[in-house]
Amino acid sequence: MITLDGVSVRFGAYTQIDYKQLLFESGQSVAILGGSGCGKSTLLNLISGIISPLCGDITVDGTVISSLSQAQKDAFRIRNIGFIFQDFKLLEKMSVEDNLNVLSLEGVNVKDSGQILAKLGIAHKLKARASTLSGGEKQRVAIARALVKHPSIVLADEPTGNLNYAIGEQVIIQLLDACKGKTLLCVTHDERLCPMFDRVLRLEEYASIKEANIHA
Amino acid sequence: MLKFAIKNLLTKKARMALVALSIIISASVALMAFNVSSQVQDGILNSFIYYDLIIGPSGSSTQLAMNTLFFTDSPLGTIPYSLVEELENSPLVNRVVPFTMGDSFNSSKVVGTSPLFLEDKTVKSGKLFSAPFEAVVGSSVASSYGLNVGDEIITSHGLSHGGAQHSASPLKVVGILKTTYTAYDDTVFTSVETVWEMHEHEEEEEAENAPVQTEAGTNSAPSHHGGSLTASSTASEEQVESHTGEVCAILVKTASLNAYTKLSQSYSGQTGLMSINPSAVLREVLDRVDLSAKIVYALSAVILLMNLIVVCVITLLNLISSRDEIQLMRLIGISARRVRQVFMIQNAILGAAATLLSLLLSHVALLFVNNISRAYGIVLNPFKLYPLELLIVLAVMLISVFPTILFISLLARKDALTK
Repeated sequence: MITLDGVSVRFGAYTQIDYKQLLFESGQSVAILGGSGCGKSTLLNLISGIISPLCGDITVDGTVISSLSQAQKDAFRIRNIGFIFQDFKLLEKMSVEDNLNVLSLEGVNVKDSGQILAKLGIAHKLKARASTLSGGEKQRVAIARALVKHPSIVLADEPTGNLNYAIGEQVIIQLLDACKGKTLLCVTHDERLCPMFDRVLRLEEYASIKEANIHA
Repeated sequence: MLKFAIKNLLTKKARMALVALSIIISASVALMAFNVSSQVQDGILNSFIYYDLIIGPSGSSTQLAMNTLFFTDSPLGTIPYSLVEELENSPLVNRVVPFTMGDSFNSSKVVGTSPLFLEDKTVKSGKLFSAPFEAVVGSSVASSYGLNVGDEIITSHGLSHGGAQHSASPLKVVGILKTTYTAYDDTVFTSVETVWEMHEHEEEEEAENAPVQTEAGTNSAPSHHGGSLTASSTASEEQVESHTGEVCAILVKTASLNAYTKLSQSYSGQTGLMSINPSAVLREVLDRVDLSAKIVYALSAVILLMNLIVVCVITLLNLISSRDEIQLMRLIGISARRVRQVFMIQNAILGAAATLLSLLLSHVALLFVNNISRAYGIVLNPFKLYPLELLIVLAVMLISVFPTILFISLLARKDALTK
């Protein structure tokens, strides 16, 4: 289970996002919708510990990650959270295999990578350089990297943002299939994909943005 | 981690090649400068100065010492051989060795002396010369020209290559010296009598071939053969040649300190003659070499400092261009410590490979430098490795890794989204 309680985050001196209390049940798939700049990606970054809140508590599966040090957050993320980015975030000059093996730097067992790639239909691309893959293939590699460590939580930040609808739909189907039993929070702009998720969260109802000189 | 670091390193070939090139150039120059300087110094220090007195024509004492001990420079001129006979009969001396020089074999100098001169050297094959027109060659001469015992060599008139050849009087190689890494390696040794006879042959040929020429004693040439008892004049700049009854210098081992003093005073007092103590002269030369060694060390330090700056700049640029990669790794949960380790391993591999290659290159370059330095009597051993060279290698390796430690710590410490 993931909970956010009284969480605010600030960017520079002018923008602050305040989140209302939020709760995500374990094993649920949630589509997070919202306009640009409403704090969707920020929400995922907070939950994963990539950024720290100004105030409030973020609890992930019993761990108050907002109180952890940066090193502890890194360790928590590598063990428990799979993160999928809109722009894939792959080591472009390295192979698909290397992009998965990079996790072994932190002691993650990546022995299931072949199986996961096969499930996503790109096992034959194992030795291919990431830069030579299509957008859809790259996103599948990013999904495989997120899943290879068998995380309990998967955060996907607009995973279909750089793909056309047909490929995007396929990717979401595969993602949902691969994430069965896990908590999946998926940020998307595409309402057509929402019916596939257990729950749809419209973030505007849970987050307010202040844009002013806060110190003024 | 090592495997990943190497794979990742290979994705940045161009940038890494730049860093490696910068390290290789600076480290090779520093290592070679240090090695050459040390070998030159060692060469002088290792030259066993058995003789305590050298008698030669008056002039530069350094030139006389360098010419007789290292076969560099031209001889000062000639002195009568009768002085050798006089000294041999003196109770004040233990050993007398004549020394003459004026011919060459390709770029190697030909020294006319007695077998005693080579007594402390080991003959690798063959024997020392004993009969006229027999020669012993240094190891470099033998290897450079593929000479074996029994081969014949034709020497040329003059110390530089290109003089008239003594075709009528070839020398037979009867011995090859073991490598000494001194000027002996690049020298041909024969008897004084052989040198005289070669010149006599040549003069006879010239006399036969030349039209009637009655010009007497041309300008600055040394005194003519015939065993004049007076010391010859200063040698011409062009050539010094020992005619029959003349030598360029005499090396003497005196019987005692008292004998040394007496002989030194006696020969220095004679017109046109000079006697020197080679140890004293070489000590003076060494002081100069010491200074040049210090300059070489200072230059090496400057080069290494430049290397540090260049490596810093390239590493910083490299890390800036790797910023996205670092951010990516941080985003997926790789800790700052691991990111730092990956980049440090990469730079350590690069630094180690580049410095070891520099060490190899500097010694390969010594082979070529040796070809030039040999002409000046300095024979370098390309395989000679000084412990300090390994220290330089270690220092360069550290210099290569240092900028990474500095910059990657600054970059990786930031949170994953901060550029």
